Amino acid sequence: MHTDIDDRKRAEALLAGEKRLLEMVAGGYSMSGILEAVCQLVESTASGCYCSVVLVDPSGTRLEHGAAPSLPASFITSIIGRPVNVDSGPCAMASYLNEQVIAPDLTSETRWAAYAWCPMALAHGLRACWSTPISSTAGKVLGAFAIYYDEPKTPTSLHQSLIEQFTHIASIAIERAQSETALRRSEAFLAEAQHLSRTGSFSYPVATDEITWSGELYRIFELDRAVPLTNELIYSRIHPEDIPFIREMMDRARGGDVVDFECEYRLQMPDRSVKYVHTVAHGTRDQNGRLECIGAVQDVTERRLSEEALGKVRSEFAHVARVTSLGALTASIAHEVNQPLSGIITNASTCLRMLAADPPNVEGARETARRTIRDGNRASDVITRLRTLFSKRDVTTESVDLNEATREVIALSSNELQRNRVVLRPEFADDLPPVTGDRVQLQQVILNLLLNASEAMSGVDDRPRRLVIRTERDEDDFVRLAVQDAGVGFEPQGVERLFEAFYTTKSGGMGIGLSVSRSIIESHHGRLWAAPNDGPGATFSFSIPRRHESVNGAGSLGAIWTPAVADAQ
Amino acid sequence: MVMRSLVSVVDDDESVRESLPDLLREFGFAAQAFSSAEEFLASDYVGQTRCLILDIAMPGMSGPDLQRELTLRRQEIPIVFITAYGDETTRPRMLEQGAVECLFKPFSDTALLGALDAVFRVN
Repeated sequence: MHTDIDDRKRAEALLAGEKRLLEMVAGGYSMSGILEAVCQLVESTASGCYCSVVLVDPSGTRLEHGAAPSLPASFITSIIGRPVNVDSGPCAMASYLNEQVIAPDLTSETRWAAYAWCPMALAHGLRACWSTPISSTAGKVLGAFAIYYDEPKTPTSLHQSLIEQFTHIASIAIERAQSETALRRSEAFLAEAQHLSRTGSFSYPVATDEITWSGELYRIFELDRAVPLTNELIYSRIHPEDIPFIREMMDRARGGDVVDFECEYRLQMPDRSVKYVHTVAHGTRDQNGRLECIGAVQDVTERRLSEEALGKVRSEFAHVARVTSLGALTASIAHEVNQPLSGIITNASTCLRMLAADPPNVEGARETARRTIRDGNRASDVITRLRTLFSKRDVTTESVDLNEATREVIALSSNELQRNRVVLRPEFADDLPPVTGDRVQLQQVILNLLLNASEAMSGVDDRPRRLVIRTERDEDDFVRLAVQDAGVGFEPQGVERLFEAFYTTKSGGMGIGLSVSRSIIESHHGRLWAAPNDGPGATFSFSIPRRHESVNGAGSLGAIWTPAVADAQ
Repeated sequence: MVMRSLVSVVDDDESVRESLPDLLREFGFAAQAFSSAEEFLASDYVGQTRCLILDIAMPGMSGPDLQRELTLRRQEIPIVFITAYGDETTRPRMLEQGAVECLFKPFSDTALLGALDAVFRVN
């Protein structure tokens, strides 16, 4: 009767204890706190025993401390760190074999002798040890739960059910703690990755407006995590010019129209600095059919700024290229115009002096006046040539006689060539068909090739500075122009570098001319290339088709096309 | 009859060759024009020339080349350089190398007269 009451009381206490343990697990108590409570509950239920929990380390090779509230610390420290095998002790053995190990009397125990485990336990006053493995739901051994007595003892079925019950609770507590650690680690990885890639993420259940942001997204928007997110707060960071666009996006998302979207917009910080962000969002529906938008926001400010800088540099290059070829021309133009001007002034002076003589030399004055007019016309011709070369600013497509276009370029640059003592030999094909293209652009390429060739020969003194400019028909209805110099040439392996922007063999040049020239020729569907000569120097050539697809069949040009070519289009 | 001093013009530009000798004659000089340094050197006038009006940039032998050649031949003739290419460094450089004057095309008759005065005052 007495025992019955004791048993009932004990069962009620046990039930209450177990309930409290499960509450601790659910309430997120620390693993060591829960394991200690497990030990204490068992110790108070089965009187005279001492309990411990050891854990198997993540590598599965060593024992780690779990809980042992009533055992001497020196005993526990001599167990911790032991290898998980059958020889180092009962808990190590139980963990290793995943089997219960019962040692009812340590004085007659012969196992674990290699590690002298029994003498150590006996020295701490322990006589019996029952160790039971703690397994995860997946069957992996997490550790061992041990019960010690200071007298020889064998477990009863009551003991066994107690053990079974509490190793189960211990297993839940350990597994939960381990998965929480793993989760925390994974979250830390994610946060680090978001920080490194400057990518924040959000989830937005469209119906409720309860927006969740990752830490990095707060950092990108420069908002305080502690302040609750509101639409108003978010909009305060969006660039005023982009707000209508974002509002429209959000409205469409709310209306369920937009399931997936990707966009780029600007943020404006309180210090008025601007950030560019790229957002990718994906809409999903939960089990209840409610739309949730999840997405990533990447801060692409640096990329955008470098793209803008690159664009600016590119247009500067183009400007430099234009100015460079203009600069070379200016000297030539100045010379061309100054020569006739010089004649005009000298003739006019002479004329005045002849008229002022006594008697006036009227015939001589008339002759010098005539020369003045002729020189005036010469200057005017130069201006007319310049007009044809520079007046057309837009890219135009027209029928171009490459021979004539080249002659004009030669006329304009002849002084520059002469100054470099270049002997120019034109070799123009008589039957050269016209090409379609932009006359001014093609002339700029020809000018660039001529000036390059002239410059390549500026240091040549042991041979004539001969420059051959040749036009001819090429295969496949192409027309070719070649500029051959007797200059310093180039290394065969360096050919492609010649066409890189800024590559130059000249000390004073920008070296951008060839890359721009090549892009002009490519826009004419042709190609520009360089080849070393058999003798000294190099030959730069381009070959362009007589017509290409971007040209519409303008009636005025139709006559110059052969029917076969027109049909092939 | 008083022998007029000979001024020779060497320039590849035709309008200079046509106009300048007439003006020089108006100034009271005898004048000859040559289209290149080589043509001048091959002529009979080198020894008689009292002043050279010499273009700097010419195909073949340049003005300064001719100046050096004359120095080598010990036939030093006062030189007035003329050029359509000049920048601010041209004139000091030419004067340093022994020219009497360096004029930029187009130049006025008074500028030319000033240069010739300098030549003949020295002589």
